[in-house]
Amino acid sequence: MTVLAVNDITVSYGRLTALRGVTLKIAEGEVLFVTGPNGAGKSTLLNAIAGVVPPASGTIAIRGADITGASPEAIARLGFSLVPEGRNVFGSLTIEENLKVGTGMRADRKKIASDLEAVYAEFPMLAARRNTPAGMLSGGQQQMLVIGRALMAAPRIMAIDEPSLGLAPKIIDQVYEILLRLRHQRKLTLLIVEQSSTRAMMTGGRMILIRGGRIVLEGEAAEMVRDERLSQAYFGFGDH
Amino acid sequence: MTMSQRRSIIRQTITTPIILMLALLAIAALTYQFGSRPLNRTAVEMFINIMVVVGLYVFVGNSGLLSFGHISFMCLGAYMTAWLTIPPVMKSITLKGLPAWLLHTQLPMWAATPISGAFAALFALIVGRVIMRLSGIAASIATFGLLGVVNNVYSNWDSVTGGQGSIVGIPPTMTIWTGWLGAAFAIVIAYLYSISRSGLALRATRDEAVAASASGIDMVRERLIAFVVSAFIIGLAGAAYAHFLSIVNPGAFYLRTTFIALSMLVVGGMYSLSGAVTGVVVLSVLIELFRNLEKGVSLGGLSIALPNGVQEIAIGIITIAILMYLPTGLTRNREFSVGGWLLQRRFARPAQTALKELN
Amino acid sequence: MTAVLQIIFDALSLGSLYALGALGIALIFGVMRLVNFAHGDFIAFCVFAMLWPSVDAAAIVFAGQLPFYLLIPLLLLIGAALSMASELIVFRRFRNANPATMMIASFALGFVIRHLLLMLYSSRPKSITLWPSLGLPVEFLGAHIPMLQVVTIVITLAVLAVLVLFLKRTRYGLEMRAAAENFTMARMLGVRANAVILLAFAISGMLAAAIGLILATNSGTADIGMGANVMLIAFIATVIGGLGSVPGAVAAGFLIGAASVVFQATLPHDARVFRDAFVYGAVIVVLLVRPQGLFAPRSARQRV
Repeated sequence: MTVLAVNDITVSYGRLTALRGVTLKIAEGEVLFVTGPNGAGKSTLLNAIAGVVPPASGTIAIRGADITGASPEAIARLGFSLVPEGRNVFGSLTIEENLKVGTGMRADRKKIASDLEAVYAEFPMLAARRNTPAGMLSGGQQQMLVIGRALMAAPRIMAIDEPSLGLAPKIIDQVYEILLRLRHQRKLTLLIVEQSSTRAMMTGGRMILIRGGRIVLEGEAAEMVRDERLSQAYFGFGDH
Repeated sequence: MTMSQRRSIIRQTITTPIILMLALLAIAALTYQFGSRPLNRTAVEMFINIMVVVGLYVFVGNSGLLSFGHISFMCLGAYMTAWLTIPPVMKSITLKGLPAWLLHTQLPMWAATPISGAFAALFALIVGRVIMRLSGIAASIATFGLLGVVNNVYSNWDSVTGGQGSIVGIPPTMTIWTGWLGAAFAIVIAYLYSISRSGLALRATRDEAVAASASGIDMVRERLIAFVVSAFIIGLAGAAYAHFLSIVNPGAFYLRTTFIALSMLVVGGMYSLSGAVTGVVVLSVLIELFRNLEKGVSLGGLSIALPNGVQEIAIGIITIAILMYLPTGLTRNREFSVGGWLLQRRFARPAQTALKELN
Repeated sequence: MTAVLQIIFDALSLGSLYALGALGIALIFGVMRLVNFAHGDFIAFCVFAMLWPSVDAAAIVFAGQLPFYLLIPLLLLIGAALSMASELIVFRRFRNANPATMMIASFALGFVIRHLLLMLYSSRPKSITLWPSLGLPVEFLGAHIPMLQVVTIVITLAVLAVLVLFLKRTRYGLEMRAAAENFTMARMLGVRANAVILLAFAISGMLAAAIGLILATNSGTADIGMGANVMLIAFIATVIGGLGSVPGAVAAGFLIGAASVVFQATLPHDARVFRDAFVYGAVIVVLLVRPQGLFAPRSARQRV
């Protein structure tokens, strides 16, 4: 069942067109990787779906409901949660407060408490410091926090922009392990912007390559990477 | 910048100040020829406001920093003119604290005015060295502080400024032609500054701060220059104001005037010279329109008059409405130019050329 | 000793007033990056709401005759309503405008409100007596402190306590704090932008009403310009305290009030009239030393 359908969207920032004619569909429980050179429009795609930047043309639908031009909070309430690039924790709020921000819109108050415990179980280093202001955490801890925070919003679709950026490889492994386990447990659909094609290949799932605002390649992640179509399409960026 | 580059910039942009000055000349001529005496006085007031807002534009428009303190320069200029032009007989009674040489001096307007402007500029040079190091909203608050300090001092240094009361006796020598002359002069100075190396550099910092500082532009120095030039123009406006009303008091140079000047600038278009002039003209016309409506208008036998006080309310609402639909102001930050009603931001392109040149 | 005590209470009560004002400005600035220059006129509006419109010098107090337990909630409601109406009718359309435009729009709004009051009430300050018993002094360790000062300080502390509880313990408070720190991120977590902003305006409006009540009781007059001074100091305090830091703004408000009183007391007699100049001078010095504000939040970025 298609949980997210993006249909021929064009997104512009003023006179700069960042995305052109982008179409994609994601099925429930799927993992879709988005890769491409810097400035290609990957973050723009996620921001457009999240409602931060409205598309100039085209439509976006979540589970059939048209969300084109809807506000970010309305889209969040439909079960879409974006973890933007850069670990935007609410620095002056504690870990626990950060986690709770996304729960206001949930109707199932009782489940929130158990979800909180589940997140703490998943990320023990957060549990240990639950009353620490988030601004004082390390990069890896903050990354865990923003994922946990997004999870507390009880999403059906989670989009993550560059989860690996600036993190030690061991931590990245941890992050991915948690993401995939949660996907399995909660039937979460994942949309991940990831520079590392190796990581995508290891994880499996589909992949699309965006360059110059357009999708220039798509297919199974593992195939694309092995095939070297990917590095060609990147024009020499290669693997890391 | 090479001579040919400079000449090309001038060729591209010179029509703007010319159009502005001619348009204002037309207004002056029409008002002089057909307008009542009160209308002529309103026109002079408008020209003085143009001087103020153009001076404000020189700093705010080119640096991108909002200044709440510039009206203090108007205060400085107005009082200096008062000190220089009031007959010594009157000064000895009301302003005993003035130094003797000042008490015995009386200069004509054409001499006192540039001195007043220079006085304001000198003050800006001293104060600006300190304030211009700040950025963004810190700078804006500092200018608020400046306004507060000047207002407080001028309101309380009774022996020198007459305190909170008004001091009288300034020769009322402003006519609609001297008014136009003042406005035209302000426009010319503002234009010359905009196409100068310093003006271009400052605009570069406004539009692309990081790139500009990487190109070696000394932001503090350029801001200081704009600060001083704008103070000079506004000082002149203060002198003109003094000669227009023939009295001065500190209350005229405080919050209300500050915000009205800023409103006129933002409504017209904060980043353009044409915007500065347009904002003043449009709002002045509206104010005059409503003033007359309040006095009463006869329409086919019926006499209609708006209740008192509606004027200001209407102006406020119109200001909000204009900004709602045109957040960048009436001129949308573009300049008037020949070859098109509103062309591309003419001053912007030279800025990019200047950046390349400065490397 | 008594003189020092008097100075302390003067400083605390003036500081309280400025702190309340700064709070009103900082709350809205936090969520919207808007400096509400109409705040001073909100204050005046709330005071005049107690009077029948008239141009006489003696005010015909209508609402002002209500007992305090009715008058105070009524005025708080009026303040909140005016503030929320401003957001719904005016500021909502300026959400994405640049700061200068927003500032001028708020100034224009204040301008309209002020002249509306002028039209209805004329510029003559009206005498208005509210709880005259509060003017009586209270004895404290040998010093005579006007009861109103004590009440002002107590009310401010109470307001601060309630607000802190609200911000830290309730869901809406949490959402407001998150929105103030990163508005877009908060929205992506489902926080309703419009609701949070409206709430900030409502609280700010109630604070304006409180300030109006204190000023009116203190001076015994209703004057069109009565909120202007507090508004100006509140604006300065918000910046000195560190933009985006509500506690910073409150602290700065207290600081400026204290500085004002201390200057008044310690300046040589002839220089006393220049007290405000000294206060503004001190503000400029603070900005030079710490341009990002005294209590800038951890996430404060140094802009070019």
